[in-house]
Amino acid sequence: MTGPEKGLRIEARGLVKHYPGVLALNATDLTVEAGSIHGLLGKNGAGKSTIIKVLAGVVQPDGGEIRIDGEPTEIHSPHAAGELGFAFAHQELTDVPNLTVGENVLLGLGYPTTGGAFVRKRALRRKAAEVLDRLEAGIDPGASLASLSIAQRRLVVIARGLAADARLLVLDEPTASLTDAEIDHLDRTLKSLRDQGVAILYVSHRLDEIFTMTDTVTVMLDGAAVHHGKTADLDKAKLIELITGSVIAVEKRIPHTTPAAAPNLMEVKGMTIPGIVNNVSFELKEGEMLGLAGLVGAGRTELMRAIFGADRAASGEVLMRGKKMRIRSPREGLKAGIVLLPEDRKNQGGVLDFSVRKNMTLPSLSKFRVVGPAPFPSERREKKAAKDLVGRLSIKVANVEHPTRYLSGGNQQKVVLAKWLDSGADVFIFDEPTQGIDVEGKEEVYQLMTALADQGKGVIFVSSEFNELTGTCSRILVMREGELVGQFEGVDISEGELVDACYSHEAEPLAAS
Amino acid sequence: MADDLTGSTGQGEVTPKASPAAAEAKGGRRDLSLGTIAGKYGLLIFFGAVLIVFSLLRPHTFPTGENAESILTLAAPSLIMAVGLTVVLVMQDFDLSFGAMIGLAGGAVTTFIVTNHMGWALAIVLVLLMGAAAGLANGFMVSYLGGNSFIITLAMGTVLTGVEFALTHQATIYSGFPPTFLKIGQGTFLGLNNQIWIAFVIAVMMWALLDRTELGRYMYAIGGNQEAARLSGIRVKAFRVIGFIIVGVAAAAVGILLISLSSSYSPNGGATYLLPAFAAVFLGAAVFRPGEFNVPGTVVGVLFLGVIQTGLIMLNFETYVINLVQGGILIAAVLVSRLGAKA
Repeated sequence: MTGPEKGLRIEARGLVKHYPGVLALNATDLTVEAGSIHGLLGKNGAGKSTIIKVLAGVVQPDGGEIRIDGEPTEIHSPHAAGELGFAFAHQELTDVPNLTVGENVLLGLGYPTTGGAFVRKRALRRKAAEVLDRLEAGIDPGASLASLSIAQRRLVVIARGLAADARLLVLDEPTASLTDAEIDHLDRTLKSLRDQGVAILYVSHRLDEIFTMTDTVTVMLDGAAVHHGKTADLDKAKLIELITGSVIAVEKRIPHTTPAAAPNLMEVKGMTIPGIVNNVSFELKEGEMLGLAGLVGAGRTELMRAIFGADRAASGEVLMRGKKMRIRSPREGLKAGIVLLPEDRKNQGGVLDFSVRKNMTLPSLSKFRVVGPAPFPSERREKKAAKDLVGRLSIKVANVEHPTRYLSGGNQQKVVLAKWLDSGADVFIFDEPTQGIDVEGKEEVYQLMTALADQGKGVIFVSSEFNELTGTCSRILVMREGELVGQFEGVDISEGELVDACYSHEAEPLAAS
Repeated sequence: MADDLTGSTGQGEVTPKASPAAAEAKGGRRDLSLGTIAGKYGLLIFFGAVLIVFSLLRPHTFPTGENAESILTLAAPSLIMAVGLTVVLVMQDFDLSFGAMIGLAGGAVTTFIVTNHMGWALAIVLVLLMGAAAGLANGFMVSYLGGNSFIITLAMGTVLTGVEFALTHQATIYSGFPPTFLKIGQGTFLGLNNQIWIAFVIAVMMWALLDRTELGRYMYAIGGNQEAARLSGIRVKAFRVIGFIIVGVAAAAVGILLISLSSSYSPNGGATYLLPAFAAVFLGAAVFRPGEFNVPGTVVGVLFLGVIQTGLIMLNFETYVINLVQGGILIAAVLVSRLGAKA
């Protein structure tokens, strides 16, 4: 939107992209320039991911053009995007876990070799270390990638972009499941890259970050860019209005409260996974919404998987309404009345090639039989239920027979949620359910969780975004390094208290009850 | 409702702006659906073309009822094998042992009836149970012990052939079969060979299993995302074992039918069925539901290969040409089904 400047200038003009039943891009414009951090915002399904895929050469637009420094350019393939100096850190990690950090950083860029064939490991490590140092990552280039936390793996992906001398760095939800300290670090790193002349396109749902990190923003709505301008000219309310396309009052949420006399629904006693979770005990009441806070790597996901029976290595007891349950598999977890919505929805949440209908009915298929005992599902009944769920969860899909793969991340998450909604389970475990979901979608997820608690279900809400825990839960547990280190109660728990408990080793240990 | 793209976000319809780009995009979309039709029915169209070509080249021998029945009879054992194999492939598992199981079943049923003078019905039941046991062993090692299905079933194939040779001492046997037993493979029902009916019934059963039952849905879910299926409470391990058992029983049935058809046993007769079965299933994934193994597709694949084989023989091509053509078709089919999956 400014006049010509030195350095790279990438302009997308009138991009159009159709997917079956969805108009993902509807004549969208976007401009990113060297030396600035450009925020890209919008609801789920607004078209952000699609535009990134176009830049990455993964998807070809049906119409419109991309100009690089004024030159019309077609990006035929990911390789072509790489040649142009575009680097991408996608929402889902795209690294190779069985290689070392250094091998990942220089992946596809040519390893230093002897005689063109034999990799010089020490030189490779040194080269990768240089890049990692620029990020102040503090990661050993010889370490295996699988041993890193998700936050560290994100840094490795960014380092790969740097190693390629990227002129444009695209970050899609880079802070999902990152802690505040890690986000601060990323903030400093990106600003220093910007000052070195890199163009940065930054996609995030976290509005606070948009204000602290970006110089300019584009807001997308239903596949089209509806706003383009300086971040400083906007405030939070205005931004939310642009994102949602309507004025909704920014109100403070009132956390769900549990009736004082509510009986215990589930008790977890002495849950231990060697080296990961150490002797964790807690109880969950009927109609309670229990928050679980902690840093990435604190063992929250592992604890939840152990309760559900997804991992076998755990020892400990789970009691439902005082009765000891035998849970050694997800199947037995479900039988005990527990459901888990996993953190990694792409690999664990749903069958992406299945239609929305088939995903929604998968765990409860026997409820949709044509007649009583015969195991033949009735497509008509399934369709009816799926359409009903699509309406109740406001899932953006034209037809329940469309493959789930074509839905946006947030809508995929809703499909995963939908399959458990009517399962009749007593305990619902949500592991980072709002990761990568827009403001409006998050609000919907909170409401769905609260509604379950109102029905007398027990809800456990695991999140790295502490403000969503304090806004929805009136009891929050904090985990650090595999142990429960804090419990906070009341409707006015502050984020600060939770953050303190996550970091401080002096936090009071949870009194045994 | 069905075309409301916006859900309940309250934003009204998403309609393309009246720009040339949008119009172009619309055109592109129609193209895509044309491409999808070609992807779904391309093999059928090609199949039709092949039938016409053979009919024109051999007008007196190819397009006859007699030849049709002969092709169907020839294809029946392959069909039984291929629809069974479809079940494990749907779950992304492999079974390379069924060729050896066909041979073992033939050897066992011959030994039981001819050498041990066992009643033919009992012999058949025992051999089908052997097939189930081999499948169970495969499935247990792959699914519960985590062995790679490729290697486990390859090794199991060698074991099964060993058992076959131990039973028959690799002797060729021409006589001693009771006429009722031979009737199974040689008799007719409503003017068609019994084998055609048996294959038809088994194909319909497998189609119903995969496309119409809960178990079938779960099997497709396992193939699509095993971990998501497990976390949805599906008994992934047990169902994978069931897949291997189905292949084992199908192979045993084919082995028995082949003996009954030819009234003779010769050692290691099943190996030739390995590639055609895989070829048919992969060809089938290029039709109806591109990129997805499915029973109706497998049936088309088997018939297509049967027609090609008979047609080429009628045109007096040598065996090596048939090999080249069959191998080439398999490669083309796999690539075409990949294209279909991408569209």
